[in-house]
Amino acid sequence: MAISKEVTVVESLAVKKTARLSLLGFFMALPPVLVILTFIGGPILLALAFSLGFVSGPNRIVALIGQEIYPKNHWWGTFDAYKSIFHDSRFPGDLRATLEITVVATTLVIFMALGMAIYQRIIGGRLASILVALSLVPLFVPVVISAFALRTFYDGTGFFKTIFHQVGITFPTLTMTNNAVTIGVIWTSLPFAILMISSGLQSVPDALIETAQDAGAGFMRIVATIMIPLAFVPIVIATTFTAIGIMGSFTIPYFLGSNQPTMLGVEISNFFGPYNRPQHSIVMAFVIFAAASGIGFFYIWANIRSAKQSGRI
Amino acid sequence: MSRSGTKLNLQADSWLIRIFLTLFIGFMALFILGPLLWLAIRAFVTGWTFPNLLPDGLTFKWWKVVADDGSLLEAIKNSLIISPIVVIISAIICLPAAYAFSRYEFFGRKTFLIGIFAANAFPKIGLFATIATLFYTLNLMGTVLGVIIIQVLGTVIFMTWIPAASFSAVPRNLEDAARDAGASKLRVFWDITLRLAMPGILVALVMSFLSAFDEAQGTYLVGVPTIYTMPTKMYALVLNYPVQISAVFSLLLAIPSVILISLARKQIIGGQLAEGFQIK
Repeated sequence: MAISKEVTVVESLAVKKTARLSLLGFFMALPPVLVILTFIGGPILLALAFSLGFVSGPNRIVALIGQEIYPKNHWWGTFDAYKSIFHDSRFPGDLRATLEITVVATTLVIFMALGMAIYQRIIGGRLASILVALSLVPLFVPVVISAFALRTFYDGTGFFKTIFHQVGITFPTLTMTNNAVTIGVIWTSLPFAILMISSGLQSVPDALIETAQDAGAGFMRIVATIMIPLAFVPIVIATTFTAIGIMGSFTIPYFLGSNQPTMLGVEISNFFGPYNRPQHSIVMAFVIFAAASGIGFFYIWANIRSAKQSGRI
Repeated sequence: MSRSGTKLNLQADSWLIRIFLTLFIGFMALFILGPLLWLAIRAFVTGWTFPNLLPDGLTFKWWKVVADDGSLLEAIKNSLIISPIVVIISAIICLPAAYAFSRYEFFGRKTFLIGIFAANAFPKIGLFATIATLFYTLNLMGTVLGVIIIQVLGTVIFMTWIPAASFSAVPRNLEDAARDAGASKLRVFWDITLRLAMPGILVALVMSFLSAFDEAQGTYLVGVPTIYTMPTKMYALVLNYPVQISAVFSLLLAIPSVILISLARKQIIGGQLAEGFQIK
């Protein structure tokens, strides 16, 4: 009797302890969440209100400083700022350039990363290692330097211009065109995609690949039915991160792109700073957010799927 | 490489693959390294007349020009002061959270997880524009504090997830054994948990430092024209200075990245970074 009582006491103590611990866990995990709520969640809500013409309260100062502000004329706000951007002759070209560059570059990056990572995983060898090591170099280089280096490499007195000039061929000047932007974002996005995908492929068990080989499966078959499905989540994460990163880039299109059309990242910065039209800048930011939210959904979905599979949530 | 024992059907025509691969490596070397070398050479030349294959002459004078320019030194100083502050603040905010995510069950854990990840699902430049709007109200535009906040935001994901993965990787039975042997809780945490999780924490510190040190877009939007860091100074340099000055400045700016990533190369490539981007 006495023993069982003691056990109950100990058990109830244990229960209490976990409860206390989880409260501690909650407060330990809170600070980064608060930082994100204050400086990402809050500003997004305020900016959404600002884009709809709510120009008082916390948005008062930016509305005072900025030009061409459209204040609300209904209780819910106004779409005037959105209308004005959509009727701006530059906007459709900018939006199309942004989406085109994002789609083309993301496809190429993932294709290249998959190819290199799969080759390294299945066949390996020194050449494969050299290739992967090369592709990771951009990780070492701050984006401002990459953008500037690419700008001088592909400009009117750049490398290919110089080399081809020797044999009498005029190589096109890529700097200040959106092809250069595509090259630039591929250059900067490659390392992350490779790291993500090759780490995903590492978790595919050797035994599975070997069994498939013994059963006579070819290279493509192994890739399509074993490697890609098993590394699916990292591949989705690599794709979404690459696409979102490219869509929100500023430095690469700023240094390498044409003046018109250019990526929305450059326009957002220009409208906010030099043109002093913050409301229009925010409207364009929300256009990008809308485009990215579809992609972001996949990222979170893939993560939750993976977490559920391994029973973590 | 660990798969060297594996032989696939592909092996039959491997010489063809080999030639293709060698060509592809050549292409990638030119594609990746070409621009960097093309720029680096410029830090040491008097000039380079198109279409000559060689520069006009060699010189170190641009390094002296940079060393004598007050505004450039100011930018270097700002970067070297602000980035470590950002890393320290980020570590204080995020490391306890990393431990909590790894070890405790608590109310709202799933929401917190998704929240931190959702914050990364926004295109950067749009996010910075919305933050700058708030910063006008809070009087943070053009202040050091504003720049620090912008840069801390970029480090949260590294500082939370990479260490969380490393804390999770510490074997629990090792901790239990130490407890059974009579070690205090603090001692177990200090001598076992923290020590074993250290490589991951170091990678997080390195990545956070570089993320802060290299951050250009947000710092530009919030800090300019009062506060220039090295990356944001580059924007002005590229447009207004001789290309050689920008080249010198680029090399200086690349030093911390090259040193730090080389030191942590093994862990980063070993998957610590990739680990950090998956919800645990």
